Amino acid sequence: MGEVIVVTSGKGGVGKTTTTANLGTGLAQLGNKVALVDADIGLRNLDVVLGLENRIVYDITDVTGGHCRLRQALIKDKRYEGLFLLPAAQTKDKTSVNPGQMKELCEDLRQEFDYVIIDCPAGIEQGFKNAIAGADRAVVVTTPEVSAVRDADRIVGLLEAAELREPKLIVNRVRYKMVKAGDMMSIEDIIDILAIDLLGVVPEDEMVVITTNRGEAVICNDHSRSGQAYRNIVRRITGEQVPLLSLEEGGLMNRIRRMIGFK
Amino acid sequence: MDTGRKTPVSYSQEDVEGEENTILIRRTLRSGQKFYYEGNVIVMGDVNPGAEVVATGHVIVMGQMRGMVHAGAEGDESAMVMAFRLLPTQLRIANHITRPPDDEEPGTFPEVAKIRNGVVTIESYQTGRAAV
Ligand SMILES: Nc1ncnc2c1ncn2[C@@H]1O[C@H](COP(=O)(O)OP(=O)(O)OP(=O)(O)O)[C@@H](O)[C@H]1O
Ligand SMILES: [Mg+2]
Repeated sequence: MGEVIVVTSGKGGVGKTTTTANLGTGLAQLGNKVALVDADIGLRNLDVVLGLENRIVYDITDVTGGHCRLRQALIKDKRYEGLFLLPAAQTKDKTSVNPGQMKELCEDLRQEFDYVIIDCPAGIEQGFKNAIAGADRAVVVTTPEVSAVRDADRIVGLLEAAELREPKLIVNRVRYKMVKAGDMMSIEDIIDILAIDLLGVVPEDEMVVITTNRGEAVICNDHSRSGQAYRNIVRRITGEQVPLLSLEEGGLMNRIRRMIGFK
Repeated sequence: MDTGRKTPVSYSQEDVEGEENTILIRRTLRSGQKFYYEGNVIVMGDVNPGAEVVATGHVIVMGQMRGMVHAGAEGDESAMVMAFRLLPTQLRIANHITRPPDDEEPGTFPEVAKIRNGVVTIESYQTGRAAV
């Protein structure tokens, strides 16, 4: 039985879809069978990021509405054998799916896949409630900005209230030079407020933009720093203990004592 | 022979408060979470920015107080706010509404806020002297 992980953030545009695509690709690279679910109904994105847009026939609302079988709606990735996408609907809105249906969908998916990763929409309304309904675990993505961290804190509170305990944190788009100069929140500052375990730190990297525009995940790029960061995060999700990439960064993270695997 | 028992100490009425209810919150209050209580509140955790604690009595935070706190919410001017780190976005006692000065360096030790001569003052917490 597979594990269902929701990738969420509160604030929009911090990197949920990018993270979902990279975690899915990375887990599939390791030989896992992975289903990515785009729960951002009305603002479909994950298919574009993965370069699969032109293969969509059915979407998530067709499955929950009983218009097609789950298998028919799952799109196989171009590169990786074990990677599949269940796309969001673009012409409907978040109320066209309810949490009960999402739970059922996740149950069905976990029978066949090792990992089910759900790309959550921004916000705390119905789309968020749908996305977390069937999840076992949550990954919270934030950027080193006060407003993003505030929203992440709100999300952690809501996850706790929904009994999704011990969410893990990914800090995305970190610019080490700015942190060093005191112009950007440091990882310590963020952990100090959120007080949840750190799953990884992804640097700001133009390779993310370049690869995304090509419909590829940056994790496939062996030389990029963000790709390396995502590879480490993937290994942590599978339960491995991997030291922080950024320990190389002039002792920036020296004060973080714990580096916790995902399991 | 030491029985492990301590000799009972007698307190004056002023030193002991036992009339009001007190509640213990054993977790961190996060952004968007609000806690209201008729009595005293003790938080064993942090109060994060965007969270609110409102009590008719005292508020004690065994952690960082960074949200909005209102002690003596029904007008009790003797109510206090105490925290290991007192860094509130806004602090209210009874009808007084205050915020930290914009250029203030945050304290790095336990502090107490209370009304003194009609103004809210913040001073470092010294064991046993909170109520003085
Ligand atoms: N580490 C990074 N370095 C540089 N650019 C990044 C990084 N992570 C994400 N981005 C860029 O930031 C933008 C937003 O990312 P993404 O779409 O993944 O966010 P999101 O949280 O899914 O947004 P939404 O809330 O709209 O769904 C994209 O253009 C993406 O390419
Ligand atoms: Mg997205």
